[in-house]
Amino acid sequence: MATNTKSIGIANLPNQTHKIVSRKGTTFTVMVVGESGAGKTTYINTLLTTTIKSYRDHTKRRDALSRKTVSIDVIRAAFDENNFATQLNVVDTPGFGDYVNNRDAWQPLVDFIDGQHEMYLRQELQPHRDDILDGRVHACLYFISPSGQTLRPLDIETMQKLGSRVNLIPVIAKADTITPKDLAAFKRRIRDAINAHNIRIYAPPVESETEGDDVVTPDGRTVKGRQYLWGVSEVENEAHCDFKKLRNLLIRSHMLDLITTTEDVHYEAFRSEHVSTDGRVVGSVARKDAKFKEEEDALRRRFAEQVKAKEAMFRQWEQKLIGERDKLNKDLEHEHSYITALTQEIKQLEDKLNKK
Amino acid sequence: MSMSDMRARRGGKKAFLFNMIIVGQAGLGKSTFINTLTNHPTIPKRQCDDPAQCTLEKTVDIQAYTVETDEDGMKMQLTVVDTPGFGENIDSSTHFNEILSYIEHQYDDVLAEESKIKRNPKFQDSRIHVLLYFIPPTGHALREIDIELMKRLCGRVNILPCIAKADTLTPKELAAFKMRIMEDIAVNEIQVFDFPCDENEDDDETMQENLELRSLLPFAVVGSDDTLLVNGRTLRARQYPWGIVEVENMKHCDVAQLRSVLLSTHVQELKELTHDVLYEAYRSEKLSQLEGLAEKLAELNMQAQEQQPGSV
Repeated sequence: MATNTKSIGIANLPNQTHKIVSRKGTTFTVMVVGESGAGKTTYINTLLTTTIKSYRDHTKRRDALSRKTVSIDVIRAAFDENNFATQLNVVDTPGFGDYVNNRDAWQPLVDFIDGQHEMYLRQELQPHRDDILDGRVHACLYFISPSGQTLRPLDIETMQKLGSRVNLIPVIAKADTITPKDLAAFKRRIRDAINAHNIRIYAPPVESETEGDDVVTPDGRTVKGRQYLWGVSEVENEAHCDFKKLRNLLIRSHMLDLITTTEDVHYEAFRSEHVSTDGRVVGSVARKDAKFKEEEDALRRRFAEQVKAKEAMFRQWEQKLIGERDKLNKDLEHEHSYITALTQEIKQLEDKLNKK
Repeated sequence: MSMSDMRARRGGKKAFLFNMIIVGQAGLGKSTFINTLTNHPTIPKRQCDDPAQCTLEKTVDIQAYTVETDEDGMKMQLTVVDTPGFGENIDSSTHFNEILSYIEHQYDDVLAEESKIKRNPKFQDSRIHVLLYFIPPTGHALREIDIELMKRLCGRVNILPCIAKADTLTPKELAAFKMRIMEDIAVNEIQVFDFPCDENEDDDETMQENLELRSLLPFAVVGSDDTLLVNGRTLRARQYPWGIVEVENMKHCDVAQLRSVLLSTHVQELKELTHDVLYEAYRSEKLSQLEGLAEKLAELNMQAQEQQPGSV
């Protein structure tokens, strides 16, 4: 192989790629899972330094409680930082773990993730695929309640189901409510439980602390934090709060890795199971609600349209026949009146004859 | 009548008996609270060292611990019943009945004892006089499990709702949270022990005291196993990088008031309510159930006899 001492500009390729990517922008989808009150909303808003997700409306709490379902809410936001456009989607899961009976609470979550993979797959298999909507989930933050003990059965089951489908990042919610000593032991026990149950995670458990609004500290500074009677805990102060680590993990350093792992590992795994050798989608994820209903509705609509078309055709025929009948009736009448007229004439002539 | 007068009436030799049960999910600081209350490591720290085991679905592991306390000169034999495992399952529907059965079982023991011709002089009354329910500090409102538990048990035991780990909420959040909890309690028609007072019977001071305590519901609880040196005094407190929370400081939380309610001021009232109202209600229900059964049995016997003529 000859080595070229004069540069021809190939080294400029990364810059070109950078220009191409930055013009295209990207989509990034994060799912948050955890009991209500774990601090998910506050977390997302602090992470993105915008109130992207609205806080709960307490006046409607009794209806939510009586419905006993886990729902999926997608919040979409377009971000523009240094001319790099990102479509950011946050998938919330209200109702998860909130009830006395949380049996199969993870099902809607899994259905959503698989559904997004399937949606992408179907679009990818189309002849024209330059405008694909990519809703695949790139990271899933699972908020663990700060019990200080260990993972609960619901946590284990849910994380097992999620870990095999998406990049799972466990987060210890409101970690500052546990003393540092207990927190270290808690983290250790969580790691042991994760290993013992073969849960696949993207990163070791990160801590999330209670974040806050703008408050004034005793020494006169205005910071983002929480005001207690005994002091002010500051969000941006690394001695008080650890969430900068997670922001860096999610956005600054690992976003690309999260996206590529989702595409190369999780999506490919889904694809290999759901595409037959002749290129068709098989074993479709039978989702009991959204997608299934959509297809059902589409079929029903087509059927209704066909029926309507046939009916219209019949009506047309009917009209034609009626028109013909009318015409024939008219002709008949016409002949009839002609006959009547002739008969009259005959009679008149007869009369005339008789009179003579 | 003051506490010491009542003790004098009893003869003062036997220690005052008081039984409480504490319910709430794991990690809310229930054991720490009890140990703070009794100033004694009454409930041992729960260790969960086998990671594979910890995630099995379990029943509530009801355990009773007895300790002697001395508050304001009043000696008491306090029994605390712990309920680890409550609400930890994926489906915790059975846990309510497990706790209810325990409480009713104590009533059954007393019922059986009362019905005896020769009663046991050494009989220990293990009826539960108060249930402390620990609500996690989500800052939102009551969850389904909170509502269900209090609803199902309020007819059998005095319930005092408490907010666990209250130091994770700012004063504003705490006030709003307390208000929403009491709203939910009212809407769901849950009868908690709300420091009842009677204009005609009680004096102004007692009325004032009770109304103040009622306004504190649910009690904001903070617990600590450690003591710290604060302003020259050694206190139970929690150390954060931004400040120190003092457990006994009335401005920081409601533990001081709750302690005096549970260990001195309202002990007698809670016991009386348990005996005169809750136990009596259970007794009537149980006996009329038995009566109903007896009637049915008699009916069936009659029918059987009618169907077999000549067997009389």
